[in-house]
Amino acid sequence: MSEAAILVVVIVLGSGVALGLVYFASLSGHTNLKGGKNKIVRDFAGSDTLKQAIASQIVSAVDSEKACLRLSEAVTDIVGKELEKRLTQNSQELSQKYETIIKEKTHNEEIAWRKYQKVAEDKKETEAVIHSIAEGLVVVDSHGKVIMMNPAAEKLLGVSKKDKLGQQITDNMKDEQLVSLIRKHPGKEGREIELATHADETKKTLRASTAVIENEEGKTVGMVSVLSDITKQKELDQMKSGFVANVSHELRTPLVAMEKSIALILNKDAGPLTQTQEQFLSIAHRNLERLSGLINDLLNLSKFEAGKVELKKSPVAIDKVIIESIEGIQNWAKARGVLVITKIEASLPEITVDANRIIQVLTNLISNAIKFTPQGGTITVEAKLFDAQSMLISVADTGIGIAKENLSKLFEKFYQVGERVATDISGTGIGLSIVKEIVELHRGRIWAESEKGQGAKFTFTLPV
Amino acid sequence: MEEKNIKVLVTDDEDDFRLLMSFWLQSKGYQVIAASNGEEAIKLIQSESPDIVFMDLNMPVMDGAETIKKVREFNKDIPIILISAYLDDVKVKDATSHGIAGVFFKGKDFSQGLSLLETVLRKHKNLQK
Repeated sequence: MSEAAILVVVIVLGSGVALGLVYFASLSGHTNLKGGKNKIVRDFAGSDTLKQAIASQIVSAVDSEKACLRLSEAVTDIVGKELEKRLTQNSQELSQKYETIIKEKTHNEEIAWRKYQKVAEDKKETEAVIHSIAEGLVVVDSHGKVIMMNPAAEKLLGVSKKDKLGQQITDNMKDEQLVSLIRKHPGKEGREIELATHADETKKTLRASTAVIENEEGKTVGMVSVLSDITKQKELDQMKSGFVANVSHELRTPLVAMEKSIALILNKDAGPLTQTQEQFLSIAHRNLERLSGLINDLLNLSKFEAGKVELKKSPVAIDKVIIESIEGIQNWAKARGVLVITKIEASLPEITVDANRIIQVLTNLISNAIKFTPQGGTITVEAKLFDAQSMLISVADTGIGIAKENLSKLFEKFYQVGERVATDISGTGIGLSIVKEIVELHRGRIWAESEKGQGAKFTFTLPV
Repeated sequence: MEEKNIKVLVTDDEDDFRLLMSFWLQSKGYQVIAASNGEEAIKLIQSESPDIVFMDLNMPVMDGAETIKKVREFNKDIPIILISAYLDDVKVKDATSHGIAGVFFKGKDFSQGLSLLETVLRKHKNLQK
């Protein structure tokens, strides 16, 4: 075969491969395969210029028609083989891809199934735990419908789960406490409410800690309440507080009698006294007052610690509260040569507080100020708005002050500032911890600012 | 000591306190009669017609609130001052519903009890006018 013939073969082969590629391209695309191929072949074959070019090349290279035929047969054969090879390869690739996809899918399904089984097992475990804990557990959705309730809850509430699932928990339930279980919006930390139920004819006291359930976006989707039976604990508490009340009465009664007797004699209602008699009786009287103060403080504190103190809140004007507090100890301040002045911002809004308790706070703070302020000093009681939500009330003195390192210890129980200036400074070290309890019960805050020798300032906030 | 023509009934089951209070009031010129329980107090109110009554709240047999309720059945007018040992006594509220003129706390000075007595008497006099 001449060089020219080889060139022709290469051209024809090249055209065949190109044709094949076009075919594959049309195959991988989503066109109508058959129509697409035929059209390309037709176009290709129908291209006269190309046909003529090939033919003229062949004619110029091959002299006989026979040789020409053979050559074209050979070309067709090569093209055909190549096409077949490509097609087979492609379909193999496709079926391999398909197999991989199937395998992956099956694998994923297996994983999903295993996950499902794990979740189902976990769920069973969780349910078993919820089922067997002694605390009652009730979960409601955002509409207050019960979605979960364990046997302990059924027993504690005296209801059946069957009747309650999917229902409003408050349906057919006359106990208004249960309504409060749902309606009272708990804080983040969960608030405790006490419920009484008459399920089995005995009065039960339940404590419910309710918390909001939030989804990932922070939207409230329901609430979970944990109920515990605290009847026994409650009975013990009552016994304890009964005992405390009794002891307090027993302690106070003789003290009051002693104090009053001595007061009568000191007041010379029972006749004249010598100076020495008066002096000694004064000592007895002062110490009795101290003892009653101590007992009162201890009882007060035990009440606060037991959470027994309930605030009797009503709207009051803070200036009245301050003036009343000062009136109670004005004479003592005068006797010690200390001036008590007020600085009350005009047109302060009324605040809703337990006035007697706030008077207790102020009396305590002012008394402390008097104790630690030398003669000629001044105590300033100030009240002003802090922001839209709170009021600042402070008691500042010009006394001996408190060392900075001791400021944080002030509100601790039984803490007493080491140095004293006068002999009549005494206390139980309880006063300020009670003050703190009262302020915090009012949802306020208290702190002290001072430096040694610079006087002290106690400030507390009350919500407006 | 000026004599006052005012009769005060002191009712308290604690002997010491009753004695001290009676003594104090006498030293201030009042005529004092005393009872140690509610029943005695009712009898004395009926027989002696005191001008004003001090009534302890916590007493055995018949407590202050109960006694005041009984007194109000036959005498709506007589001023009664409650005596209580505690500032936060829950029973005070109970007694208040039957009409009391004031509360004197045992822990406070007698002088406070005295000024309360004077205020109540003054108001009562004005009311009668």
